[in-house]
Amino acid sequence: MGSSDLDRQIEQLRQCEIITENEVKTLCQKAREILAEESNVQKIDAPVTICGDIHGQFYDLKELFKVGGECPDTNYLFMGDFVDRGFYSVETFLLLLALKVRYPDRITLIRGNHESRQITQVYGFYDECLRKYGSVNVWRYCCEVFDHLALSAIIDNKIFCVHGGLSPSINTIDQIRSIDRKLEVPHDGAMCDLLWSDPDDIEGWGLSPRGAGYLFGGDVVQSFLHNNDLNLIARAHQLVMEGYKLLFNDTIVTVWSAPNYCYRCGNVAAILELNDNLESNYKIFDAAVGVEARGAGLRKRAPDYFL
Amino acid sequence: MGFIERLNESVKGLKIDSEIEVSPSIEKVLGLLDALLQTKAEIPPVDNALSRFGNPAFVTFYDKAAEMIPELLKPIVPNDSIPEISAYLVESFGNRRRIDYGTGHEANFIAFLLCLEKLGVISSRDYTAAVLRVFVKYMSLMRELQFSYWLEPAGSHGVWGLDDYHFLPFMFGSAQLIDHKYIRPKSIHDPDIIEQFSKSYMYLGCIAFINSVKNTASLRWHSPMLDDISAAKSWAKVNGGMIKMYKAEVLNKLPIMQHFMFGTLIKFEGGSTVENEDEGCGHDHHHSVEVDKDGKEVYAMGQEHPECCGIPIPSAIAAAAAGQSRRPIPFD
Repeated sequence: MGSSDLDRQIEQLRQCEIITENEVKTLCQKAREILAEESNVQKIDAPVTICGDIHGQFYDLKELFKVGGECPDTNYLFMGDFVDRGFYSVETFLLLLALKVRYPDRITLIRGNHESRQITQVYGFYDECLRKYGSVNVWRYCCEVFDHLALSAIIDNKIFCVHGGLSPSINTIDQIRSIDRKLEVPHDGAMCDLLWSDPDDIEGWGLSPRGAGYLFGGDVVQSFLHNNDLNLIARAHQLVMEGYKLLFNDTIVTVWSAPNYCYRCGNVAAILELNDNLESNYKIFDAAVGVEARGAGLRKRAPDYFL
Repeated sequence: MGFIERLNESVKGLKIDSEIEVSPSIEKVLGLLDALLQTKAEIPPVDNALSRFGNPAFVTFYDKAAEMIPELLKPIVPNDSIPEISAYLVESFGNRRRIDYGTGHEANFIAFLLCLEKLGVISSRDYTAAVLRVFVKYMSLMRELQFSYWLEPAGSHGVWGLDDYHFLPFMFGSAQLIDHKYIRPKSIHDPDIIEQFSKSYMYLGCIAFINSVKNTASLRWHSPMLDDISAAKSWAKVNGGMIKMYKAEVLNKLPIMQHFMFGTLIKFEGGSTVENEDEGCGHDHHHSVEVDKDGKEVYAMGQEHPECCGIPIPSAIAAAAAGQSRRPIPFD
């Protein structure tokens, strides 16, 4: 697939227009090749801008790029949960994927708990693929890509980035490297925990009310940072009213990039800009306005249950 | 599900404010909900600066409710059933830790009502009142909690679902509107009809609530599923669809039902098979026991009996449940 072909696809996706099923197939193949080479803990050099959950909110992703700068002018790390819940999971994920294939060293994508077959069948991505393409092939191709996504990233060996959080099975970064990640997100174990856990106001580890992963306290974060010579853990996975939230004496931050989540939460979104010296700057942004008119009328009929 | 369908039948064509028979048992349950509404009013939201999203006052309410409910249940149900029934009722307000609420929690309220039926506290004669009085009051309590304490939508399907929090008021609500002379499914777009009838019909009440909360865009945009449904030919079709959808999207969905509690009143029957992609489950079937710094074994919820996908949940769990008042089913 030529670079100009890819550029054309990127332009199309930027207009929130889907590419053909065959183009998706090729794009996903190419993406898998690139992602397969990445480590479970992908190394990134600063400067880079860290982003949290997007959940198919395509027009808000455009806002994000306006605020943070277009890729590849700005380096990006997206911490997963690209799909489900929003209208445009397909366009969102394919745009990010196309950017990854076009500028592999300028954008890093790691896996969220929603990048999973089981979850996407419940929370919308599967349905969206079916609606927009009339078949499940695109969903299948994307799930295969999900399996290849790195589990985490590390910036200048100092900032550890993961979608959910820590795992009681993992004390060192090296242990993460030895996980076999190229599979569907398991229901338990280290790989599951990294994508599902949450920091909480407790000591040590606790049962997670989500039913997967764990809760972990400030002491756990402290040990992990110390054992691995890190300064900060950046993660996403939880809605934050102010877009981002620092916890445990600023040793861990939750970054959330889906503004006005579900059209009701009224939250703002955030991105975390790190400069060459790893100094942080949080940028906040609101939901895109006036997007209604642009909504493609893809659902003109009553859902199958009601016919 | 049978219980839900029976409740659904009982309200076909009826307005909320219809004249209906209200038994003493129902009155007592209403009194219990009123007490909780009163409690809620006494617990205003607190400064949210430290919280991620949900208001910590919800936890205060939850704990107070958990304290009050066993007492409030004494005049209604036999003593030895109080622990189980309390558990369902308290869970029907949302999750304490995450300060969120979703259709799984709503299902707990139905479980609560089902327990009352199993114990003979209510009977089929009470179905209509159970929906039009009790469930409606529960809805008003939930709206208060959602609004004041900023409950996060738990497991919302976003634009691919019916509503962020609720399902049953749409189901019961559509039953209410069956055979209505002039209100049609498409009437949800008519603000006058909504204004006039939202208090009489649950479905319209829900639409009114959604419109008031999601006021940055139109219904077509933020709730496309409800918009689509408004194209259906009749409320009977909508109602039928709701029942099918509830079975498929709530009761048959693991992320919701994994949290459901089984006990002596509502027993877990049969195994569970998880539908997997034809390629195979792709799971890492390698389990190890984690230990924390004290050497104590640490388990995530349900992992005390680690099983892999597709393996039926052992009936030992149902048996064990008989000895405990609450037992979550494993996450698989």
